[in-house]
Amino acid sequence: MSSALKRWPVVAASLAALAIPLITQDSYVIQLLNIAILNTIVVLGLNFVTGWAGQINFGQAAFYGLGAYTTAIATKSGLPWITTPFLSAIVVIAASLALGLPTMRLRTYYLAMTTIGFGEIIRLIIVHWEPVTGGTSGLRAIPGISIFGIGPEGQIQHYYILVIALALAILIAAHIRRSVLGRAMIATRDSEIAAEQSGVDTTRTKLAAFMIGATYAGLAGCLYASSIRFISPDSFSGTQAILLMTMLIVGGMGSIVGCVFGAVALTILPEALRFLGQWYLVLYGLGVIAVIVLAPGGLASLGPRLQWRQAGVR
Amino acid sequence: MGQLVVNGLALGSIYALVALGLLLIFNTVQIVNFAQGQLLMLGAFIGISCAVTHELPMAASWAITMVAMALVGVVFMTLVYFPLRGRPAFLVILTTIAMGIVLENLALIIWGPLPVSLPSPVSGPPLRFAGVVISMHQLFIFATLAVILVLQFLFLTRTRFGILMQATAQDLHTARLVGIPVNRTIAVAFALGTVLSGIAGLLVAPIFLAEPTMGGSLGLKGFVVSVIGGFGNLPGAVIGGLFLGLVETFGARYISSNFRDAYAFIVMITVLIAWPRGLFGEKSSEKV
Amino acid sequence: MTSEPIITARGVTRRFGGLVALDSVDLDVPKGIVHAIIGPNGSGKTTLLNALSGASHADAGSIRIAGEEIFRLKPHRIARLGLARTFQNIRIFDNLSVLENVKVAAACNKPTPFFDILAANARHKQNETGIDSTARDALETVGLAGRADDQPSQLPYAQRRLLEIARALASKPSVILLDEPAAGMNMTESMTLLDTIAKLKSHGITILLVEHNVRLVMGISDRVAVLDFGKKIAEGTPSEVQRNPLVIEAYLGRRHRHA
Repeated sequence: MSSALKRWPVVAASLAALAIPLITQDSYVIQLLNIAILNTIVVLGLNFVTGWAGQINFGQAAFYGLGAYTTAIATKSGLPWITTPFLSAIVVIAASLALGLPTMRLRTYYLAMTTIGFGEIIRLIIVHWEPVTGGTSGLRAIPGISIFGIGPEGQIQHYYILVIALALAILIAAHIRRSVLGRAMIATRDSEIAAEQSGVDTTRTKLAAFMIGATYAGLAGCLYASSIRFISPDSFSGTQAILLMTMLIVGGMGSIVGCVFGAVALTILPEALRFLGQWYLVLYGLGVIAVIVLAPGGLASLGPRLQWRQAGVR
Repeated sequence: MGQLVVNGLALGSIYALVALGLLLIFNTVQIVNFAQGQLLMLGAFIGISCAVTHELPMAASWAITMVAMALVGVVFMTLVYFPLRGRPAFLVILTTIAMGIVLENLALIIWGPLPVSLPSPVSGPPLRFAGVVISMHQLFIFATLAVILVLQFLFLTRTRFGILMQATAQDLHTARLVGIPVNRTIAVAFALGTVLSGIAGLLVAPIFLAEPTMGGSLGLKGFVVSVIGGFGNLPGAVIGGLFLGLVETFGARYISSNFRDAYAFIVMITVLIAWPRGLFGEKSSEKV
Repeated sequence: MTSEPIITARGVTRRFGGLVALDSVDLDVPKGIVHAIIGPNGSGKTTLLNALSGASHADAGSIRIAGEEIFRLKPHRIARLGLARTFQNIRIFDNLSVLENVKVAAACNKPTPFFDILAANARHKQNETGIDSTARDALETVGLAGRADDQPSQLPYAQRRLLEIARALASKPSVILLDEPAAGMNMTESMTLLDTIAKLKSHGITILLVEHNVRLVMGISDRVAVLDFGKKIAEGTPSEVQRNPLVIEAYLGRRHRHA
């Protein structure tokens, strides 16, 4: 199972990731990387649902937000931080069941619309429930990670914690990929009928993918609130949901490595190209179309195909 | 309360127009255009450029806008339909969404973020009877919808080209085999569908003001209407649109105006759970 | 050694709008034999398979698989009753390797609770080992063991068909439905296919075979049923059916109508 992850490219990447704070101490850069890591975890979650199980999902940003807001509200009302991952997970699992159960049998366009609608409803609730969520101004001064009074200070310490969280997320995803569930998900996407005839309960499988994906997003949201310390509805809007989807596509749907590429690249890009102003989004949209038309497998499919396939980190 | 009905129906008529544009494209090429709302926005702004910035007469502005929208529709088709033929629906959805982002941000660059108003093509004192006030513009909306419905019906069933379009919509492959100029019918579908959205934009702007980000929610509502009415079903779209307009108006008044946009989704989700094929049933069915 | 048929179908009817695809079809498939269903194009063969496997349920009638009534059961439940199938247009999981394709079916009767997967505990490892060996055995049976780690897209057409059969085999079924397995194959490939089917039979598996190529199935089948316009018009041993005037009429008549 983990044999795939022992290959040298992964080791090299891990070392590089750990070494970054040695190269630059710029807290702006590190914070950007932190957000990139968080986005990667969310996109990894989306990969279960859309990349493997083949279900369109524009609600991932909503789960991200639910996790963040649950955590912020909990810690600001005095609950110890250690409870927040569990609370976030419970909230998003409940929400994903509420969304997933009625919609698992919907077809592509309807599923897209329903998940967009779900995201909108959550956003509206967040925006208008001002006393609890702070409305459009969001919540500030969110308490940070703290276990028995000890917690990370400064962007760099948060960076290392997030890198570890990401590593865990990747390991779990790779493990699930190699398991019965992972194969069932991909089978469901490739041919739902054949999967059913092979004994796969496709409805259950899609629901499981949905819930796991939501949990990834919810936990990422928890970490987001606890490390960035400020949240607002804009970070979890419908536009965000679309951006997350494009990260998945550009990186390479179905590929764990692709998720990392896509999320990191498309988180850093808007910052690097800030001088373009409004034009960034115009070029972004055109770029996404170009990728879809020219390289639908995403950037991951352009890389050395054989090597990654042997590595098994798909 | 009668006033709410009038307002709701006027709003619903606009939603119906958006849905009609969506369905025209969908029926022909099986693509749901998630940028339909942005096209509406474009229509509004082209109209504003003509009528407000360049102070052209309204009739001319409308005419220019409709022609421009037709061209935009064809360009849209070239960028979206042809490169993505045969690709999974999911990628097409993403592409149209991306086009919507491009259009929205281009609009922000060209016209800025501030809301702008567009005058109505009709003016005059509002009608009053039975305790309700119907503005000239609202009458104009109803009239436009009626005219478009009649024209669309006549075009699709009485003209030669319209019948060809129906054939293409039913079975593109066979249509091509029997020599129907399929590409032309697709181009016309895109052009007309875009024009319909443009008209919707010209009708909305006098009521709600136009700003580049208006496309998102209007486009989604057009989609919701199509779902409620049953995809592919034109009369269903009209009824669905009017229904949604009423629900939203009454909901905003009696429940909460904050959640205005959410009513559409709640209705849609409810409909889909109970009738997975839409209230009036889809035209197309799936083969095992 | 019970004598109860593995498949018992009575009055199976299926309509598509105004078209009657299956008209009150009765079928008994005894255990352990190779049973073929033949008939001209459009006679309802695939529709019958779909009804048996749950892919597209019948509108009326009773179907019992291994004694269990399957009406309205979801396909995966029918699969767990011991029925596997292949498809007319091969449906392979292209994003999984050859071995993984077969593993999907190998897990058919071993639902692994998610908790075990997450915890990667001993039970999970045990299941995975079992699935792995079942899958490899199935590939061995069809002769694809050497290509376990390849991608299905790298396989030639005939081997993709064999992969589908291996996948069906891996769910340890009592009966396998083969839907036009020889379609698109040349003589050599068809021979390999027949050998494989014979091997399956020797494993004690019942085979229900839908084939358009009549000559091909006559050699391997123990019983044959003939469908025409959704009705069963003949049934018996291959030689009986071949000489049946109704059957000849159905095939000849069709050919003349098309000519």
